[in-house]
Amino acid sequence: MQQYHQKSQGQPALVVSGLWFSYPDMPNVLQDVSLEVMPGERVGLIGPNGAGKTTFFLGICGVLKPSAGEIVVLGKRVLNGDFRPEVGLVFQNPDDQLFCPSVRDDVAFGPLNMGLPRDEVEIRVAEALSTVGGAELADRPAHHLSEGEKRMVSIASVLAMRPRLVIHDEPSANLDIRSRRRLIRLMQASKETLLIASHDLELVLEICTRVVLIDGGRIIVDGDPRQVMGDDRLMEAHGQEKPHSLVPHPAPHPHHHQ
Amino acid sequence: MHIPDGFLPATVCAAGYVVAAPVTWYSLRRINQKENPRADIPKASLLTAAFFVVSWIHIPVPPTSVHLVLNGLLGAVLGYFAFPAILIGLFFQAVMFQHGGLTTLGVNALIMGLPALLSYYIFRLRNITDKRQRIMTGVFGFLAGFVSVGVSVGMFAVILLTSIPADLDVVTERAAIYTLALAHLPLMVIEGVFTALVTVFLWRVRPQLLDNT
Amino acid sequence: MRIGIDEYAYLGSPLHHWDPRYKFIGLMAVIFAFSFVRDLRMLAVMVTVTAVIYIISKLPFSFWLTRLRYPSFFLMVVVLLLPFVSGHTIIMSIGPLDLRQEGLIAVLLIAIRFVSILTIGLVLFGTAPFLTTIKAMRALGLPAILTDMTLLAFRYLNEIGDDLHKMETSMKLRGFHERRFSRHGLGILAWLGGSILVRSYEQSEWVYKAMIVRGYGHAVHPREEFKASSRDLIALIAILLVAVGFIAGDILCRREAMALLQ
Repeated sequence: MQQYHQKSQGQPALVVSGLWFSYPDMPNVLQDVSLEVMPGERVGLIGPNGAGKTTFFLGICGVLKPSAGEIVVLGKRVLNGDFRPEVGLVFQNPDDQLFCPSVRDDVAFGPLNMGLPRDEVEIRVAEALSTVGGAELADRPAHHLSEGEKRMVSIASVLAMRPRLVIHDEPSANLDIRSRRRLIRLMQASKETLLIASHDLELVLEICTRVVLIDGGRIIVDGDPRQVMGDDRLMEAHGQEKPHSLVPHPAPHPHHHQ
Repeated sequence: MHIPDGFLPATVCAAGYVVAAPVTWYSLRRINQKENPRADIPKASLLTAAFFVVSWIHIPVPPTSVHLVLNGLLGAVLGYFAFPAILIGLFFQAVMFQHGGLTTLGVNALIMGLPALLSYYIFRLRNITDKRQRIMTGVFGFLAGFVSVGVSVGMFAVILLTSIPADLDVVTERAAIYTLALAHLPLMVIEGVFTALVTVFLWRVRPQLLDNT
Repeated sequence: MRIGIDEYAYLGSPLHHWDPRYKFIGLMAVIFAFSFVRDLRMLAVMVTVTAVIYIISKLPFSFWLTRLRYPSFFLMVVVLLLPFVSGHTIIMSIGPLDLRQEGLIAVLLIAIRFVSILTIGLVLFGTAPFLTTIKAMRALGLPAILTDMTLLAFRYLNEIGDDLHKMETSMKLRGFHERRFSRHGLGILAWLGGSILVRSYEQSEWVYKAMIVRGYGHAVHPREEFKASSRDLIALIAILLVAVGFIAGDILCRREAMALLQ
C-alpha cells in the first residue's frame, strides 16, 4: 500500500487504525482499514458500490460502532454515540438529511444542537447559506427545491456547524451539469479537509490531492490521483475505469478545469 | 368512519378529547419506556406518512372504489405508536382535506385508534406458536384488519346515531345501526384480506417492520 | 403532489398578520363555541360572524367553494334522510314520505354548524403556512413528540405520495388496470402498499442517522419564534368575547324557549 503524505501541518485531521466492521447479516464490510489524513488534504475515495465507503463514514462520525479498531478525529478518539460537530457528513441522498420544515430550520439544526445562542445560530445560518449560494432559499420547504438546490442546502446544513473535516458521500449524484459545476467550484474554494466518496472520477480528478481505492472492505491503493486512476489494469481489476481526462487523445483539447 | 364537524354536540366532542388525551399520554409513555425512544420517532413519523399515503390507494369495488381504513394494519405494525399516528393522520385529513373534523378529532381518534390498539394485541397472538409463521401471520393479520374495522364501524354508528341532534325513535336507531354494520361487512372482509396480504409481504420482505408485535 | 390548504398564506389580511398562537386559541375557541350552539336564532348570528371573519381574511370565494364541495357529500346524505326519519311533527307529505319538523330543524342545525366550523377552519389553517401553525401549536404546549412526528410526517408526505404515484404509473404502463375487483388485483395493491411501507421504513433509518450526525438529542432549546404585539392580544380578547358570547347567547335563548313552552 503506497502512502502519500503532503507537508505535515501539526496533528492529523483523521487517523483510522485497523478498522474492522461487520453487520449481523454482512460480515467484513470493512477489513483492517488504516488511513491518515492531514489537515487541508482532499482525499477521494473510489471503489465499487458495497465497498464499505458509507459504513466507513458513519463510523468516523460516531454513528456506527466498529467491531475493532480505532478512529481519532482532530486528536480525540471517536466513541459511538458522540456528537462531533468538527466532522460534517453530507449524505448521499439529500432528502434523508433535509428533514426540517424549512431550509432555515435544517441549516439551524446542527448549531442549535451545539448549544449555541440564537443570534449566533442566525449568523451561522446566513453564512452557510451564502457560502453555498442559497440565501434566497431560506424560507422554502425542502420538497420545493430542485436536486441541485437540495444538495447545496444539505452542504449548508453541515457547514453551519463549522466543521474542520467535511465528508461528502456521492456529492454529484443526480446533479445536472450546471449544478455539478457549482458543486466543484464550492469544493475547490473550501478550506476544510475533505473526504469525498464518488463514482464521478472526473470530479475526483479535479478536486482531490490524493485518492484511496477501496474494494471489498479493504484499501487497495492510496496515492496520487493521476497515478492511481491512470493505471488501467488496477482500475479495471476493481470495477473502475480510467477517467476520460486521463485517456491520451490523438487531438489534445484544452481542459475545462484550471 | 370519520364524524364531521357540526354533527355532534359540544359535550360529546369535549368528551372525545378528554378520553383521547390520557390514551395518547399512555401511548407516548410506553414509547418513552423503550430502550431508544428517539430512534423510533423518525420511524413512526415516516410510517405515519406512509400509512396516510397507502390509504389513498383505490381498491376497486364495483361499481365504485373504496379507500381502506387500515387501522388494523397500523396496530399490527406500529403497536402503541398507532394511536399518535392515527391522531396525526386524522389531523392532516381534517386540515388538508376537510375530511373528518377539528371538533371531532378526539372522538374520531378514539373510533379509529382504540380498535388499532386492539388489533395490536390480536396480531401479537400469532406468536403463540413458532411454527407455521406465514400462516399465523396471515390469519392474525386478517383478524386484525377485520375486527378493527368492525369495532370502528360499530363505535361510529353508535356515537353518531345517539348523539346527533335529532329525535330518532329506538326502532329507527337500531335499524340504522344494523344497516350500517351490515353494509360494511364486505369492506371488513376486504380490509382483513388486504391486511393479511400486507403483513405476509412485510414478514417476507422486511420482518423488522413487524418487530413491535 | 401539492397540498394546497395554505396556498393563500401569502395574502396580507389582518388575520394573516395575527400572531399564529393567538389566532389558534381564538379561532379554536370560536369553533368550539359554534359546536355548542343549539338554538335556531343563534344560527343566523353564527352565519354572519363566520362570513365576516372569512371576508376579513381576504381568502377567495373560489377557495371556499372548492374546499367545501367534497366534504359536503356526506352532509347531503344526512340532509336528505333526517327530515323524513326523525321527529313526530309532520309538516308536509310528499307521497308516502312525511316531512318532519324536528328532522328539518336538526338538519338546519347540523348543516349550518358544519359549514361555519369548516369555514373558520379554513381561515385558521389557510392564512399562514401550515408549518407555522404547527410551530404555534408547539409553542402553545403540544408535546414535543407529537409535534416532531407531525413535522416529520408532513415533510415526507409529499415524497412518499410522489413515490406512490410513480409506482402506480409504472404499474399502469405494464398493463395493470385496477377497474375490476379480483383476488389477484387485491394482492398486487397489497404489495404496492407494503412496498411503500418498506421504503419509508428504510428511509427513516437514514433520516435518523442524519439527525444524530447533526446532534439530535443533544440540546433542548425552548424556541421562542413568536412575538406578539398588543394588537394581537386585543384581537384575541375580542374574539374570545365573541366565543363566550355565543355560548351565553345560546344558553339564554334556550332558556327563553323553554320558558315559553311552560
